[in-house]
Amino acid sequence: MVKRKNPLKIFGFWLSIIILVIFITYPFVWMVSVSFRHDTDAFEPGIIPKRPTLDTYAILLGFKKSLREELSNEQQQLLEIIKTLPKEQQEAVLAQIEAQRKKESFPFLRFFRNSLVLAGLSALVSLILSVFGAYAFSRIDFKGRGTIQRGVLIVYLFGGTILAVPLYQIFVKIGLTSSGLSSAFALFVIYIVQTIPVSLYMLGNYFRTIPRSIEEAAIIDGSTRMGVITKIIIPLSLPAIITVYIYAFMIAWNEFLFASIFVRPFPEFYTLPLGLNEIFNSEHAIWAKMMAASVVTAVPVVVMFMMMEKYLTGGLTAGGVKE
Amino acid sequence: MAVLSLREKDARFGWKLVLPTVILISLLILYPVFYNIYLSFFEVSISDTPNKFVGLQNYKEILFDSSFWKSFGITILFTLTTVIGSILVGLGVALLMNREFPGRNIVRALILLPYVTPLIAIVFAWKYIFLPIDGPLMQFLANFGMNPGNDFVNNPNNAFWVVSIFNIWRNFPFVYLMLLSRLQSIPSDYYEAAEIDGASDWQKFLYITLPELYFVIASVALLRGIWNFYKFDEVYLMSKFANTLPIYIYEKAFSGIPEQGIAAAIATILFIIMISLIGLYVKKVLKW
Repeated sequence: MVKRKNPLKIFGFWLSIIILVIFITYPFVWMVSVSFRHDTDAFEPGIIPKRPTLDTYAILLGFKKSLREELSNEQQQLLEIIKTLPKEQQEAVLAQIEAQRKKESFPFLRFFRNSLVLAGLSALVSLILSVFGAYAFSRIDFKGRGTIQRGVLIVYLFGGTILAVPLYQIFVKIGLTSSGLSSAFALFVIYIVQTIPVSLYMLGNYFRTIPRSIEEAAIIDGSTRMGVITKIIIPLSLPAIITVYIYAFMIAWNEFLFASIFVRPFPEFYTLPLGLNEIFNSEHAIWAKMMAASVVTAVPVVVMFMMMEKYLTGGLTAGGVKE
Repeated sequence: MAVLSLREKDARFGWKLVLPTVILISLLILYPVFYNIYLSFFEVSISDTPNKFVGLQNYKEILFDSSFWKSFGITILFTLTTVIGSILVGLGVALLMNREFPGRNIVRALILLPYVTPLIAIVFAWKYIFLPIDGPLMQFLANFGMNPGNDFVNNPNNAFWVVSIFNIWRNFPFVYLMLLSRLQSIPSDYYEAAEIDGASDWQKFLYITLPELYFVIASVALLRGIWNFYKFDEVYLMSKFANTLPIYIYEKAFSGIPEQGIAAAIATILFIIMISLIGLYVKKVLKW
């Protein structure tokens, strides 16, 4: 549309683009920059780190022991010192050191693994249920279809804020909050339900774009409906299915509210958002580590999203909106 | 038993396919919504003792609690600010990106970053740049005479603004995506005809672009309004001092001495307000 070449307008246009890019990237640039520093340099001015290092990443990902762990011969020396104390007191001192060290450790890999398992599995189950549900919505006539479809959409209106108290009460009543594993299971079920409406909507829209004639031919050749789904619909909509999976995965990967309600008492089962937030609120001067953790948390999701971006057209965009 | 017709068989198969979904949603979303209303009439016990029926006591307590009204006002203000803000920014960016220019693909990919990056990761980046004294943004603002010692994030008086700006920054890409796809479907001959009639850029925007975008903007405003009204994680993780209602509910229900009956009552009030506002909006603005 820029037909008339008005220099002032062109200048204004490019200025807006530059301001936009700075507005978007400012926090990211700092996040990446600080993640390549030592904890002690976190507030050194200037965007380019003066003493760049990969240490924080190496420690985070378990390739390198942290300073604290390296100093563990400190324990040996301590044992020497407290040798004279009675056995009970020795154990008490050691337990105290152990607790202290635990408090200062940064179990990033554990958070990462928990999030990966939880988001991966719940998105998978949600996807399988949605493929079948969306097929029924887009192809099969049955009584009550319209009502159910609308009902699923209305679920958009019930945010987690409304559901937090009753869901907690329900899971307490059926005894699913008593151990870490059962609480994690509660989360798993909740994440499935939180992601199903989007998945159903996105897949339903996509299935409608697949010509019916292909299916009809298969049915005439003697295929069952189930055969049609597994042999025709799923292979034909693979890009959409992968996109939906990533979306569901992202929702679960991001979830904080329910994680903080259900697994807070069980640190073994912390997910990334919960775990990082707890660490952030309990310790100081670990900015480089927090930023490196942020980068590692973000990269898989951002990469997945960029890969599926080209499929995010039309119906998929319209459906991909649940948060 | 009679042999089922093909049609009936199909219908049964359809039901079988959606049944697991229907059961899960009924158990974990519909039932809890009603159970929440039920709980709001009780003093909910967190130990083994049974809940005590208190009638409207919880509601009375809330309505006479000034901190409830304060959070209520903040929530409305937060919703309005963020919805209007994200639509303005999203619209501006969509108009910019509707043109061809070198490097457009890179900028388009960048625009999605705030929306797709996991919340917890960018929250720390934001907290870092806003840190008093040392934070880079605060140091930068000091050049313009602002006191770098201000703690915006942890000060109840202005945490609200940081949280609002953060929400706009994070969510404008969603608005932008929706608006851009609509913008690209406006036929270019509309603009050509207007140019022949001597319309200025502003007039073209006002009389062609805006009316064409009306329904997308209205729908996006509705969706963002609903989500931001309920928004918990973005606000809570950014600053616990922003005092919106979802945070108020969370604190009542899950911290200190839990008062889950009261939390349930607030959630119910929120829910009723939401449903009525949506009804009104759909009728008046979307004219369905």
